Amino acid sequence: MRVVVADDAVILREGLARLLTEAGLEIAGLAADADELVRLVEQQRPDVAIVDIRMPPTYTDEGLRAAQEIRARAPDTGILVLSQHVRASYALELLSGGSQGIGYLLKERVSDLRELASSVERVAQGGSVLDPLVVEQLVGRSRAGADPLEHLTPREREVLSLMAEGRSNRAIAAQLFVTEHTVEKHVKSIFATLRLPPSPDDHRRVLAVVTYLDAR
Amino acid sequence: MSVALAALMAGVGAAWLAVGRVDEPYQTADAPLALLVGWTFVGSGLVAWRQRPGNRLGPVMIVTGFAWFATFLTDAHAGWAFTLGTAIQSVYLVGFAYLVLSFPTGRLRGPVDTALIAGAAIVVTLVEWLSLLFSDSHAELCSECPPNVLLVDRNDALANGILQVQRLSGVSLALLMVALLVRRWRGATAAERRSVAPVLLAGSATVLVLAVSIANDVVGEPLGQLGKWALYCVFASVPIAVLVVLLQRRLARGAVAGLVVELGEHSDGTDLREALARALGDPSLDVAYWFPTGSRYVDREGNRMQLPGPGSGRIATVVERDAQPIAALVHDAALAENAELVQSVCAAAALTLENERLQAALRARLAELQASRARLVEATESERRRIERDLHDGTQQRLVSLAMSLGLAESKLEDDPGAAAPIVREARETLALALAELRELSQGIYPSLLTERGLEAALDDLCRRAALPATLDASLPRRVPSQVEAAAYFVASEALANAAKHSHATEVRIHARLDRGVLRVEVADDGIGGAVTGSGSGLRGLGDRVEALGGGLTLSSPPGQGTTIVVEIPCG
Repeated sequence: MRVVVADDAVILREGLARLLTEAGLEIAGLAADADELVRLVEQQRPDVAIVDIRMPPTYTDEGLRAAQEIRARAPDTGILVLSQHVRASYALELLSGGSQGIGYLLKERVSDLRELASSVERVAQGGSVLDPLVVEQLVGRSRAGADPLEHLTPREREVLSLMAEGRSNRAIAAQLFVTEHTVEKHVKSIFATLRLPPSPDDHRRVLAVVTYLDAR
Repeated sequence: MSVALAALMAGVGAAWLAVGRVDEPYQTADAPLALLVGWTFVGSGLVAWRQRPGNRLGPVMIVTGFAWFATFLTDAHAGWAFTLGTAIQSVYLVGFAYLVLSFPTGRLRGPVDTALIAGAAIVVTLVEWLSLLFSDSHAELCSECPPNVLLVDRNDALANGILQVQRLSGVSLALLMVALLVRRWRGATAAERRSVAPVLLAGSATVLVLAVSIANDVVGEPLGQLGKWALYCVFASVPIAVLVVLLQRRLARGAVAGLVVELGEHSDGTDLREALARALGDPSLDVAYWFPTGSRYVDREGNRMQLPGPGSGRIATVVERDAQPIAALVHDAALAENAELVQSVCAAAALTLENERLQAALRARLAELQASRARLVEATESERRRIERDLHDGTQQRLVSLAMSLGLAESKLEDDPGAAAPIVREARETLALALAELRELSQGIYPSLLTERGLEAALDDLCRRAALPATLDASLPRRVPSQVEAAAYFVASEALANAAKHSHATEVRIHARLDRGVLRVEVADDGIGGAVTGSGSGLRGLGDRVEALGGGLTLSSPPGQGTTIVVEIPCG
């Protein structure tokens, strides 16, 4: 499996490369900023790009924007965003285009080599990885115990899993051979069952997906 | 007094000469008019001279009056008197032109004005005299007149020619003068117009009548008696206009009385500016209040105001009380001519201005405090951002890297324990670095030495760690409040950092004293100077902090002479 790593701090870039090599991954290239990263990804078409959020020149959310660009230009490349802080809003932004091949982890999670390797692998295979801290921020601690998906009907679970792949209602309807209207009804029911507070639909959709991902 | 007497006698003489002319008896009607003109000039001149001894207008009017009387010598029977009279018969016109052009300052305004007066002077003297050398009195001047004693060689054609040249030049100069006056009027401000209107009007009328009269002479159709009287009347109106302006200024003093009454009625001073503008007749008037704390002028709302510079057409008259400035009236430069009025207005309004000043100063102080508070908040914010960045880029990175090393070591331990040892060593080194950075950072947030040992020890430590040689001379017998210690410490720290960064200094000296309850810390370097406390400078924020403690921060940094920063904070 081939990965590229983008982080403006040499110490972390090199350390990560060393770790990933140790884990048996192939390093296809290292980048120090977002532009370099996007170029590298287009060139190398790696399985996963590991991206730091805060990079030059403004040290704000360059990594996130780079992730969106990679999504657009190289949809097959999975993206694992690493950051020293996790923010729910960033997670929503990342997942708004579908959760396939997306990961968002705290940087310090890299200390567990096996865990890191498996995260990279999951993202490479189109899965998604969310830091427990993000999930906690998004769906709240209260649900930690019970399985939030247990009250969903099998059909609703099916719809939710397709939502998690980033599909639209129309696509889901086509896949399940039902009308779009039916899918809408299922989605509404999912929101209600998961007790997602009314908010712009996109966010509720992502929150539902996050809950789904978390509960699996 | 003697001038007035002389004028009286000259007038009587002129009248006698005029009446004594036998050839044209109906001209006796000229006498009272002529007297009126001359005496008006001399009288107005005397009044003006007394009012404004430094202004040339008075003397010019008096001389013009006498020059006017001198023209009546042409009516004398004696040849020498007649000749003298003829020779200087137009000199009064130069006085008149000077009067109108230089009003109200008494000074000519530019090279064109000066050239015009010089030209007129030549035309009425040299050209006149030249023509006299060739003019036969009977042939050229008047049939019944006494002989011309200056006659050298009678040449009618030449004399006539010179006379025509003289008249043409006279007309041209008169027209030029009208043009100048029109231009001046157009360029004048409202206040200027107000002060020169009557004189300009009378002067222009005179010039016009004069030009028409000379033009008629040139074409050989003299205006006759009516024209002459018209000229006398408009001419006499010039000194009257000057008097009117002077009287207006007297009336303006009445406006001061009105102002006093008005200020008494509206003690809140809401329309103080309006009242002052009315009293001074300058609608554009502005009031700037002195703000001593900021050493600057502010408007009513407390916003900074710049007094007008030279050449802006506006001037500021500073109003003082007890030798302290309280306000400045920013008004049209034309009002400077009426300094007495401005002074009276200032005196009348001083008390109200002082009240207004206190309020304006309060508003300015408030605005300053608000700005300083905002800067304090901003400084705190940016300090937090700095700390966050330092943590993010330093400690956090080291710790993440440490976590990686440990993860790596862990994985090695299982299948290649020998390879784990160097990784663990590396991790230990990284940890040591992280700890050092964390120590530096926490020291920067708040030096522990300051808490534990006080300012002197903290400053000493600061000097030891400074990037360039720094010495401390401190004598602080007791601890001062911690916020005072901290403020002083951070000023010194920032000053040292600045010296190391920008000053090219070779040495810094810190001097700290506690004197009569005031902590004074001075940081002086021997660098290039030229430092400023602009926005964004760390010192600006520290200055606010010091001020919040009731202290002050001063920066002295003349180019080439090093930078000295002094912070003084009362310690209660």
